Amino acid sequence: MVVQQRERELRRGPPGRPGWSLRSYMALFMAVLLGVAALAAFAVRTMAETDARQSAGADASFASQRAAQQLKAGFDQIAAVSGPLASDPSMPIVFADPSKCHFGYAPIGAFATGHIDLVRLDGSVVCSSRKSPDTTSRIYEGQAWLLTPQPVVVAPTKDPVTGNQVVVVSYPVPGRGALAWFLDLAPIGPKLASEFGSGVHQLEFLVTTGDGKTVVSRSIDPAHWIGRNASGFVSGSAAASQPDVNGTQRIYGRSTIDPAGWRVYVGADEAAALSAADQLSNRSLAIIVGGVGVMLVVAFVVYRRIAEPVRQLSLVMRGSTSGDAVRAVAETGAAEVTSLAWDFDRLVATLKRELADRLSSEQKAVLSERNYRQLFDGHPQPMWLYDVNTLAFLEVNGAAVDRYGYSRDEFLAMTIKDIRPPQDLPKFLELTANPQPEFDKTGPWRHLLKDGSTVQVLITSHATAFAGHEARFVLAEDLTESQQLELELHQSQARAEANAELNRAKDEMMSMVSHEMRTPLASIVGFAELLVTRKVTPELRTEYLGVMLQEGRRLTALINDFLDLRRIEGGHMTMRFAPGDINALIKRAVALIGNPAGISIETRLADEMPLVRVDGDSIFRVVSNLLSNARKYSPDGGTIVVGAGVVADMVEVYVQDHGLGIPTDALPKVFGRFYRVESPDRIGIKGTGLGLSICKNIVEAHGGTISVGSDGLGKGACFTFTVPFAREANQTGDVLVVEDDSGFAHLLEAELTASGLSSIWAADAESAERLMIKNKARAVVLDLLLPGLSGEDFLRRMRATHGSRIPVVVVTQKDIDPAESLVLHKLGVSAVLRKGPGMAETAANMIAKSLAAQLVAS
Amino acid sequence: MRTRTPPGLQVLRTVVIADDESSMRLLVHATIESDDYCVVEAADGAEAWAMVQKHRPALVLLDVQMPGRSGLEVLGLIKADPSLAATRVILLTAKAQETDIESGLIAGADFYLTKPFSPLDLLTRVEEALQL
Repeated sequence: MVVQQRERELRRGPPGRPGWSLRSYMALFMAVLLGVAALAAFAVRTMAETDARQSAGADASFASQRAAQQLKAGFDQIAAVSGPLASDPSMPIVFADPSKCHFGYAPIGAFATGHIDLVRLDGSVVCSSRKSPDTTSRIYEGQAWLLTPQPVVVAPTKDPVTGNQVVVVSYPVPGRGALAWFLDLAPIGPKLASEFGSGVHQLEFLVTTGDGKTVVSRSIDPAHWIGRNASGFVSGSAAASQPDVNGTQRIYGRSTIDPAGWRVYVGADEAAALSAADQLSNRSLAIIVGGVGVMLVVAFVVYRRIAEPVRQLSLVMRGSTSGDAVRAVAETGAAEVTSLAWDFDRLVATLKRELADRLSSEQKAVLSERNYRQLFDGHPQPMWLYDVNTLAFLEVNGAAVDRYGYSRDEFLAMTIKDIRPPQDLPKFLELTANPQPEFDKTGPWRHLLKDGSTVQVLITSHATAFAGHEARFVLAEDLTESQQLELELHQSQARAEANAELNRAKDEMMSMVSHEMRTPLASIVGFAELLVTRKVTPELRTEYLGVMLQEGRRLTALINDFLDLRRIEGGHMTMRFAPGDINALIKRAVALIGNPAGISIETRLADEMPLVRVDGDSIFRVVSNLLSNARKYSPDGGTIVVGAGVVADMVEVYVQDHGLGIPTDALPKVFGRFYRVESPDRIGIKGTGLGLSICKNIVEAHGGTISVGSDGLGKGACFTFTVPFAREANQTGDVLVVEDDSGFAHLLEAELTASGLSSIWAADAESAERLMIKNKARAVVLDLLLPGLSGEDFLRRMRATHGSRIPVVVVTQKDIDPAESLVLHKLGVSAVLRKGPGMAETAANMIAKSLAAQLVAS
Repeated sequence: MRTRTPPGLQVLRTVVIADDESSMRLLVHATIESDDYCVVEAADGAEAWAMVQKHRPALVLLDVQMPGRSGLEVLGLIKADPSLAATRVILLTAKAQETDIESGLIAGADFYLTKPFSPLDLLTRVEEALQL
């Protein structure tokens, strides 16, 4: 169903508003391209004209400057030569003797042709650069420049000698005449043009007088124009367009020459410049048009090879067909499009296959569910599913209904606890409380049928999920006779294996023990033999006997420790737990250690510690052992701190020393049997290697843990163990039994129970005091010889705090002298019994009677 | 180093006792005490090897189980040193299993005593080893 919907969606095409097609993008792209090309063409045309004018103007200005510079350079050169020459002291001699004068003319810059004459005041020539000059006639008589006392430039003027239009540059020779240069004007214009006018702009060079009215020279037709009026051709700006003297439109640049004050106009032919620009812009336009054409072709190809095939592919996809249509697309498209088309073809094929698969697997699922249902319901063995968290039945099969007698609805209203006999429940709950393995086979279990009878079954179960529950599927199999036998065989095999393992452990232990015993034994036997066979001095004899004693004691300790360990490990040592005061136990252990030399023991005990559930003797032994170790491994003395406090729901006790410490790698091993840290600093420190092993066993039997920490050799060690709070401390008991002998205490408790009295036991007076405050016992059975505070002291304090009404029976091993007996009676003790057979019963009866009498009395 | 025989008797041969138990050292020392040789004690394997190197003893009485270097290790060191070829070794051990004895003898010990041992027996062995 879902698949079909999806298919329809696909056929409808992409959801939402579609974006632009590639075709639209291409059209937009072309439009933009054409617009940009048109703009470019327009810009090229306009800008080309302006550029051409600017370029021509710049060219003209530059050429005018260069021309002016050259002309000026010519004048400067003439001045540099002529000034000194005219005023030269040799001038009178030359005037007197013309044969001494030798002039020659060489072209000076633009002044290509001309001549120099030395002229007398009367106008006759002294000497000249001309060949064979006429020195007799007064050729220059009356010329204005001859009479001027200053150097002067005159132009244009006609050379009286050559008849050419010239510029006369005259330098007066005072009192005698003048040195005059006659420079032909006609060649100046063409010369400037040939030198500076080459280039595209067909420059016209026009030189005018300072007032701009008279033409001095011109590059075009100079002979005609020299001396003519050029007025009206006055250009103010540096570069301006105006007609030349012929009427041709030109763009002019202008410069001025000192000292003649001439102006040099250079004009570029405007029409020629513009036509060149036109040519250039036409070329650019051709390139633009060509580029647009190429882009159009590219766009067309892209459209044909990509956009169109993609569009067609999209059409094909919407049609969800494949094969020929795809092939058609693939033939026209670009490589990527072709590959896309084939990928699509494959995708369609795969999708079709998967669709078919899924449809069939959905059908299969329906079918298989039906099959499983049949399998489950029709299976001849009882099966059910239950919720792991609530233990409620979730589903049962017909066989279960038949076998157990409950209807299906009854089953579903029950939990799997309900089909167990009550006596099996603890074991069963223990099983379900722990996480079960994925697959499990357990049993035999007893199941309760509806008719009240029980059957033995083997349970095969595995974890599963059922209707959103975390569930287990269970197959219950009736135990047949052969299976029962097999099971028993299996169990006995397991027992045999366990026994073998135990024996192996025992063997190993025996070998270790015999090994450990050999060393002290070797000393004892060896020294004994020496004493027997040799005559030794009394001093040596004492020394040997001392060693024998010490080693003998060590052997004894070893055997005791070993036996204790065996008892505890083998579970033979029964712990008798009673509410106890941990502080009192610790104080007793500290008192036992006494005051070893060099060692100070500091106790840090929290006030208001809860009572702990302990076997007093055992925990006392643990604390004593830890303290003894701390002392042993502090050969250089130091402080030992023993402390206790509440951590979470346990009481934690620690013993910290500042002795030899324990290397890190040895930390995990110290609780092992016979393990002893070996390092040179502890040679000579004796031990059996069993003490910590015993401690660990005792603490663990209490449900606590023991651990050790050390920062390494020489850094001391800290042993920590925990014991649980005493729950019994909150229960009430009719009778408080204060007795350190746990065996007798239990006997008393049993007798009191037989008399219909509940009891609570304290193993020492300190714990008893605290229980009295908490529990308000109505009677007390008291031992006088207690490990800490004595029974008598406890009694005295109890009377002080709780009054004299509480009946007390003393049961003790102690010999009571009359004086003591009197004291006890004064303290309100009803009877003093000596421990022995039957005394527990007697004590219980006495307590019962006293309480009954009290009841009557009140 | 602890010596019971006065030092300065270089002409005398040396016997090294190596045992981590002081009572055992005392017993062995008392047993074999003699004017014929000088006895020195070592409390662990490393010290034993140092003593052996220093005194070049005629005989070493080695406890097998010692902290640091075990007796068998020290034995190996002695046997590996050609200059100590004349040094005899008697092993003392609390291990009584055959395999232990074998491995001790294979390693080159001259004799092997299991704790507890008879001091007179030990003395006999020592005198045998020293060919007195």
